[in-house]
Amino acid sequence: MNVQIKEIFEKVKSENRKALLEHEAKEILRLLDLPLPPSKLVKTEEEAIKAFNEFNGPVAMKVMSPKVLHKTDEQAVKIGIATVEEVKETFNDYMNRFAEKEVVGILVEKMVAKGVELIIGSQIDKTFGPVILVGPGGIFVEALKDVVFRMCPCSLEQALSAIDEIKTQKLLNGFRGLAPVNREQLAEIMSKLSNLAWEYREYIGEMDINPLIANSDGIFPVDARIILK
Amino acid sequence: MSNRITNFFNAKSFCVIGASTNLLKPGGVVAENFAKDFPGKLFLVNPRGGTHIFAGKEYTLYKSVLDIEEEIDTAIIIVPAKFAPQALEECGKKNIKNVIVTTGGFAEIGEEGVAIQNRMNEIMKTYNINVIGPNCLGLYSPALGYDTMFLPTSKLKRPKPGNVSIFTQSGAFGAAFIDQLARLGSGNWIARFISYGNASDINEADCIEYLGEDEDTKMILVYLEDFKNGRKFMRTLREVSLKKPVLGIKANRTEAGAKAGASHTAALSSNDAIVDDLLQEAGFQRVITWDELEDCVISFATQPLPKGNKVAIVTDGGGAGVMASDMVSDCKLQLAKFSPEIQKKMDEIFPVFYSTTNPVDITGSASAKDYEKALEAVYEDPGVDAVVNICIPSIPNLDINEYIEITRKIASRKEKTFVTALIGGEEADYAYDVLLKEDFAVFKSPGSAIRAVGRLVEYANYLKKRGKNL
Repeated sequence: MNVQIKEIFEKVKSENRKALLEHEAKEILRLLDLPLPPSKLVKTEEEAIKAFNEFNGPVAMKVMSPKVLHKTDEQAVKIGIATVEEVKETFNDYMNRFAEKEVVGILVEKMVAKGVELIIGSQIDKTFGPVILVGPGGIFVEALKDVVFRMCPCSLEQALSAIDEIKTQKLLNGFRGLAPVNREQLAEIMSKLSNLAWEYREYIGEMDINPLIANSDGIFPVDARIILK
Repeated sequence: MSNRITNFFNAKSFCVIGASTNLLKPGGVVAENFAKDFPGKLFLVNPRGGTHIFAGKEYTLYKSVLDIEEEIDTAIIIVPAKFAPQALEECGKKNIKNVIVTTGGFAEIGEEGVAIQNRMNEIMKTYNINVIGPNCLGLYSPALGYDTMFLPTSKLKRPKPGNVSIFTQSGAFGAAFIDQLARLGSGNWIARFISYGNASDINEADCIEYLGEDEDTKMILVYLEDFKNGRKFMRTLREVSLKKPVLGIKANRTEAGAKAGASHTAALSSNDAIVDDLLQEAGFQRVITWDELEDCVISFATQPLPKGNKVAIVTDGGGAGVMASDMVSDCKLQLAKFSPEIQKKMDEIFPVFYSTTNPVDITGSASAKDYEKALEAVYEDPGVDAVVNICIPSIPNLDINEYIEITRKIASRKEKTFVTALIGGEEADYAYDVLLKEDFAVFKSPGSAIRAVGRLVEYANYLKKRGKNL
């Protein structure tokens, strides 16, 4: 077990929280060497502007708070922020609206270029223990239900065969001008996450990496949710 | 081999606890079965004592297993549930390590039964006994003279030795399918049959491991409703399916829907969605309906695996050919394009109104000889992986016996997958019965025949994908 990963879980547990904050979940993914978009957890307007300038391109800003778990519903996510003005505006809006919500910081994250939205998720099945799924993701994931399961841990070969069993293969092969999904890379991410779900099964109850955006630069976890048992 | 089931089947001495003198009662049936066929030593326990004649031989009826001096390898307990714990405890004291409990009335009936089963489980652990059951039919292997199926042979017919093995959670499914196999074709099917019921000890993971290793078993047929050790089962299955086909039913498909969870993943995780994917990944051919099982036995147990997915169809009916072609694409197969030499040959031998491209339609003018020419031609084509022989025998020039003889001759070559579909009434049934009796892969519709080829191709593809050479 990785000491740093374990520390994150222990910290969340000690604070009696059930869910990791997005930046905590992403820190775990970073420790697994997953290719995350550059991001910074900021606490002041100056820090926010600095991060924005550093990333050199549009950013997303998200509120990190144990009291704000459904960020989209509570309008705690803003995407495509392209000017310093907007950064300031968003920062101050969050600080006003979520003043009472134990905000830990604002996550400023470089926007990932458009691509195919995928999901990788894990949960603990009563029969098979930790299982992992892969499929088309995004907001329609539960309507599409085009996911394939494997037991954790799953090898690269097993992950690849899972990707091959996704029904909407068209989406993976370069749909409407989008870059084809790099199956080997996706399989590697799935295999790594399956190892995580297996090794830390005493901690992880459910995990959603959704969306995972596959574009011509690679495959990037854009949102990550880890819920403890 | 260290599998625990091995010791049951390899028993040199066997004891029936609850050996009834009434040959219609379960304890009487099993005593009679073993007296008739079991090559090892047989001991019978009946609290009334005395002696009784089973299969023409006189046996002592011991009042308790503890009264027997010789060593006993395996015992079966066929007494009412309330007496079962005592019987099991006596087995423990007698140092019998393998016990089959066929009796019902345990966990499956509710609270009272659960209490008895818990008591049984304690005894099992205390004495380190391997248990099959309770609430099951136990074991059957005709080649080993081993038959704990307590239904009388006048009612439940037994298949003869063969290379198909079955394990089943449901005894009723097992009994019905055993009975079906006894009258399917030659009836030579069964290597091992295991009905493990409530799986208080030995479960599906032990079964797949044992049958995977068993050399008499060339294919495995499964009926499951749930898993006692799902992870081990899937891991073992994944290895076994590389050696022999494993197929069957995982019922209870609607058992548990996805729970409303905090994540999308939880919402997508219905039990059967997971089971289905894991079974497929482990190389299991999942059958949904009971009626397809016999088709699977007849095709997997008798046919060589196709090298590819190219199918040749020969038929005397255009409609049957069209339906068969539709099914070919439904089953992810392809119609073979004949090689120029084979095409030329058929064009030369057949009149112009026969359609000699795939599907080959030799029309209502066809004779049995035409079938022979067409079937042999496509069989020879190296681009054909499987041949589908479809016949509607009601046409005037076709002699049904001659057709049967030709089909028998080509089907016996076994170099390629070869399936036959007979469609129609009396003559079709007649040819079907004759060919099936000899274990040829014969079906009653083009759809079933092609679906069988589709299953074989699916398994062959799986093996290729896992790096096996066919």
